[in-house]
Amino acid sequence: MLFRSNNSILWLLKFRISKFNILKTEATTEPILICGNEAIGEAAIQAGCLAYFGYPITPQNELTAYMAARMPEEGRVFIQSESELAAINMVFGASALGVRAMTSSSSPGISLKQEGISYLAGCELPAVIVNISRGGPGLGNIGPAQSDYFQATRGGGHGDYRTPVLAGASVQELADVTFLAFDLADRYRTPVLILGDGILGQMMEPVKFIHPEPVDLEPKDWILGGAKGRPPRVVKSLFLGTGALDAHNRKLQERYRIIREKEVRCEAYMTDDAELIMVAYGITARLCREVVRNLRRDGHKVGLFRPITLWPFPSLKIAELCRTAKRFLSVEMSYGQMVDDVRLAVNGKLPVEFFGNGGGEILTVGEIEEYTRELISS
Amino acid sequence: MPLNLKELSKKPELLSPGHRACAGCGSVVAIRQALMAVDGPVVLAFATGCMEVSTTIYPYTSWRVPYIHNAFENAGATISGVETAYRALKKRGKIKGDIKFIAFGGDGGTYDIGLQSLSGALERGHNFLYICYNNEAYMNTGIQRSSATPFCAATTTSPSGTVIPGKTQFPKDLTAIVAAHNIPYLAQASPHNWRDYIGKVKKALDIEGPKFINVLSSCFRGWRTQPVTSIDIVKTAVETCFWPLYEVENGEWKLNYMPKEKLPVAEWIKVQGRFKHLLKEENKPLLQEFQDWVDKQWDILLQKTGDTVHKVVV
Repeated sequence: MLFRSNNSILWLLKFRISKFNILKTEATTEPILICGNEAIGEAAIQAGCLAYFGYPITPQNELTAYMAARMPEEGRVFIQSESELAAINMVFGASALGVRAMTSSSSPGISLKQEGISYLAGCELPAVIVNISRGGPGLGNIGPAQSDYFQATRGGGHGDYRTPVLAGASVQELADVTFLAFDLADRYRTPVLILGDGILGQMMEPVKFIHPEPVDLEPKDWILGGAKGRPPRVVKSLFLGTGALDAHNRKLQERYRIIREKEVRCEAYMTDDAELIMVAYGITARLCREVVRNLRRDGHKVGLFRPITLWPFPSLKIAELCRTAKRFLSVEMSYGQMVDDVRLAVNGKLPVEFFGNGGGEILTVGEIEEYTRELISS
Repeated sequence: MPLNLKELSKKPELLSPGHRACAGCGSVVAIRQALMAVDGPVVLAFATGCMEVSTTIYPYTSWRVPYIHNAFENAGATISGVETAYRALKKRGKIKGDIKFIAFGGDGGTYDIGLQSLSGALERGHNFLYICYNNEAYMNTGIQRSSATPFCAATTTSPSGTVIPGKTQFPKDLTAIVAAHNIPYLAQASPHNWRDYIGKVKKALDIEGPKFINVLSSCFRGWRTQPVTSIDIVKTAVETCFWPLYEVENGEWKLNYMPKEKLPVAEWIKVQGRFKHLLKEENKPLLQEFQDWVDKQWDILLQKTGDTVHKVVV
């Protein structure tokens, strides 16, 4: 069962265990109080990240500082690059050797990394890229935002590619999706994005680092680790012969189809009898959950649907909800990006409303609730 | 205008009070001094960094002159565009009179991510001055190491611990890299020697073509010192020959200040918390390595300027 109304984390774990058998339920450590940026860093280390390449940008600096201190302790490699562009290409170099590698940044820095992400996708190289996003466009500000949704879910760089995008809604979940990100990257030989925001990155919550069960990952028979005793291998994104590029792109598209089929993750909260279903991810989903609780207290039939994978987007689940719901409301810290995916999933069957701001400032429970009450009474 | 304090005190400041830089910020002093050399219209470009963030929290600005900021890596390119537009307008007679162009960047925006952009602007020969306010780390984002950070300095991304003693590399010699562009004028300066520094800015602005000044700017937050020492500490950097004052005019290297007595670099290091681990007994070899590096760089410079160490009179 892909979809269940339940408590988020528990549900996520159950779901992953039953479906993919990749997470252990027992915690390996006592919970520790740690900020989201550090939680991603620690989870990456425990997930076997051997090389981390960072560059300063607010609000993700705690992650870079954490890796600077922790990676050498573990005998791993931390490098601060001279630019974001350099960092993503260092990831490219490390990944080509089959090493689990990661970089992180915030929105403007992620824009600079897009060339590298496109090359990683084209070359089928696994990598984990963390975006602790902030307000934009341009310099924007350093407040939390969700306005990088399009960039993250549509590929972001040039060419016809997608990357799995994982969006946690708590510090615990950021750690959980970090483990998942490395496995997805290796399993599908693709860069994977973790999309957080300035609040999730910097707020502190108790976290347990829950190691996934060892996954049956195929051996990396493509790494460029020295050709002695075997025929040389090639990792490339350049295909010049007639039809060669199209064959390569078809192969990528087939892989994306499998990811769409198998890797959708989401959470539903009080949606079974809900007439109005709010759709929100990340920190905004936390706010909407409170709105749902408040409105339920007054007898309104409201629920929350929370995508955890933004790509692949849980379109089928939303389509299923169309049978019982009467209306959807997408709530985002952007002026309407995910709402497009909700509309595509609903496909005209029901009205889809939108509420949000441009990002850079967090929405409040009060303003979301006020809008939602107006919507219900209209 | 003669370069004396009486005259300088009469000059209106281009950076107005009320900006949000820390009290005791060395970079603000470096920038205010540079702008005292400006007569007539000037356009400023800034790379992302402390001075951009603290002076232009929109809708507020501390600037009394036109100012442009783009992103982190491109102050050189941005000022190139502005200067090119100016030349185009001037050619068509739409602008009369002379306008000066100055780009400012910190060490992160100049030594690291902005180096390509700076190099391009220097090579193309735009008529502008680039001033790097070098506080030896990414201070704006919370003290991360840069390629200007000194050997063994502790930063949040080069922490000192029981095994690794802070940054393991020596800083790159950006001023020499710029010199290799064979531009008409470049210099190294320090705000404690304001006469030398302001004189250099003045000289640079009167020269046609690309110019560059690298000015050491203390940051008490990142250097782990007291705000009151902001000027003393850069003076010690010069007296220890860690940061020599020199200029290169049309390929001629000239030393501007020869310390009467070359102080050991430990004098500069011991007052900064970021180096405190270097003072431990077991780290003496590292301190010696640091001193050897300073001595070697100093020798190389003296060979270029034609000075000899004999000049040091004790």
